[in-house]
Amino acid sequence: MRRFLSAAALAAEIRAGRRKAAEVVEERLADIAQRNALSNAFTEVTAARARAEAAAVDAKLAAGQDPGPMAGVPVAVKNLFDLAGLTTLAGAKIERDSPPAAADAFLVQRLRQAGAVMLGALNMDEYAYGFTTENEHYGPCRNPHGRERMAGGSSGGSAVAVADGLVPVTLGSDTNGSIRVPASLCGIWGLKPTYGRLSRRGSFLFAASFDHLGPFARDVADLALAYNALQGDDPQDHAQQWRGVEPVSAVAEIAGLRIAVADDHFARNGHAEAFAAVEAVARALGVTRRVTIPDAALGRAAAFLITMAEGANLHLPNLRRRAGDFDRATRDRFLAGALLPAHWVQQAQRLRAAYQAKALRLFDEVDVILAPATPYVAPRIGQDMIEVDGQSIPVRPNLGVYTQPISCIGLPVIAAPIAEPARIGTPEGLPIGVQLIAAPWKEASLFRLAAHLEKLGVCAAPEPKA
Amino acid sequence: MPEFDPAAYAAQAAAAVGLPLDPAHLPGVAMNLALAARMAALVEKAALGPAEEAAPVFVAGREAGK
Repeated sequence: MRRFLSAAALAAEIRAGRRKAAEVVEERLADIAQRNALSNAFTEVTAARARAEAAAVDAKLAAGQDPGPMAGVPVAVKNLFDLAGLTTLAGAKIERDSPPAAADAFLVQRLRQAGAVMLGALNMDEYAYGFTTENEHYGPCRNPHGRERMAGGSSGGSAVAVADGLVPVTLGSDTNGSIRVPASLCGIWGLKPTYGRLSRRGSFLFAASFDHLGPFARDVADLALAYNALQGDDPQDHAQQWRGVEPVSAVAEIAGLRIAVADDHFARNGHAEAFAAVEAVARALGVTRRVTIPDAALGRAAAFLITMAEGANLHLPNLRRRAGDFDRATRDRFLAGALLPAHWVQQAQRLRAAYQAKALRLFDEVDVILAPATPYVAPRIGQDMIEVDGQSIPVRPNLGVYTQPISCIGLPVIAAPIAEPARIGTPEGLPIGVQLIAAPWKEASLFRLAAHLEKLGVCAAPEPKA
Repeated sequence: MPEFDPAAYAAQAAAAVGLPLDPAHLPGVAMNLALAARMAALVEKAALGPAEEAAPVFVAGREAGK
């Protein structure tokens, strides 16, 4: 059994008639049944649906029709995406009482139209409010690179399912870092597109001002394949700014790209391995230029307040009626968020606009900025505190120290995994990633650079040891 | 100016928004409010003029494909 499937290669084999989608699905279902208990990535396996979708792909091919560019590719989604007929849990016990979704989320529809086969729903932090996926109701998600380690979150199951080779492509959401943090801790590729690029319809929102959706994959070609399939016009998501499909490719071409390393906020607040990862990428590219993203720490503070307020407002009816049913990891933050003075939140939204204006000016001079994705490798599950810059601080919120300032202003980011983390000195050789950050709508530049880094061998998904 | 007392504030603000607060949850709520106050102090540092608007912009409508 091939443990790590390439989605692009698999689709090519199925389209060429060398493999059947039905056979691939059975193989994946058996593998998930055998190994999911190690990671707790899947919270629901949609076997009947997967078999039906695979059969439909095989039938189309037999009839001479084109099943799409992701023909027969097994996929799964964070359990905040609607899957028709299933209750959307969003990591919450409370949502078990909700009716099943009437339709698939928009992006799930896009995957299906591309020929992908849906295998199920994946673990996450409750209501996406966390960076660790230590879910009290559904159990912690375990990192394939050390089962006692956090997966990262909130899209922990999405990252783990790919890192562990259960499926080659998954979807997650990123409000403050929830794609980039688990991608970094699990050593895979993750894309947070520009805010407003992809429709969020049919996903359980968290803080709508910052909610993004995006894919995870083990290589750049698969990330591009998924991202291209996900693009589509949806006037029902009022945050979407439709620009037409802007396809990307995994062609390694960086001629003309001006690249710099983020300093200041992004050169402190973390452990040595976070900075070593950025330097390894910069060295491979011959990049020495440094830039300061102005007011990044203030932007993070603004994101913190807006997230608290928007998340709490969304859940206020349940906070009033059944606060005790929330995960203890989210409950008190939601309760506090419901009580913030309006001035704090409005000031944060005004600061956000001013911070954005300053940050965007940087892109007059550079095309891509390199920054750490996480301040350290995956902490142990249950670990509360960590020492950073000589101070003991809470380990969980600090995981987003480098991602929050970027999603606050909606910039597109690829989280790129360091290929050989042991060589840059990460503790126990655990994975870590780097953020490749571009101006709004410049995802194509990020893919060009990501493919180049993959070609150089500096970035790639490291294989878990066991 | 009296110092911000997150526990006392939580009790009053919760009453204002009709949010029953279990006394067992109050210490955690107060801790998170104290953290939010520190974030708010950072945000207050920004020198914003009256012309600087909030980030969200209301869109009256959008047609498919545009």
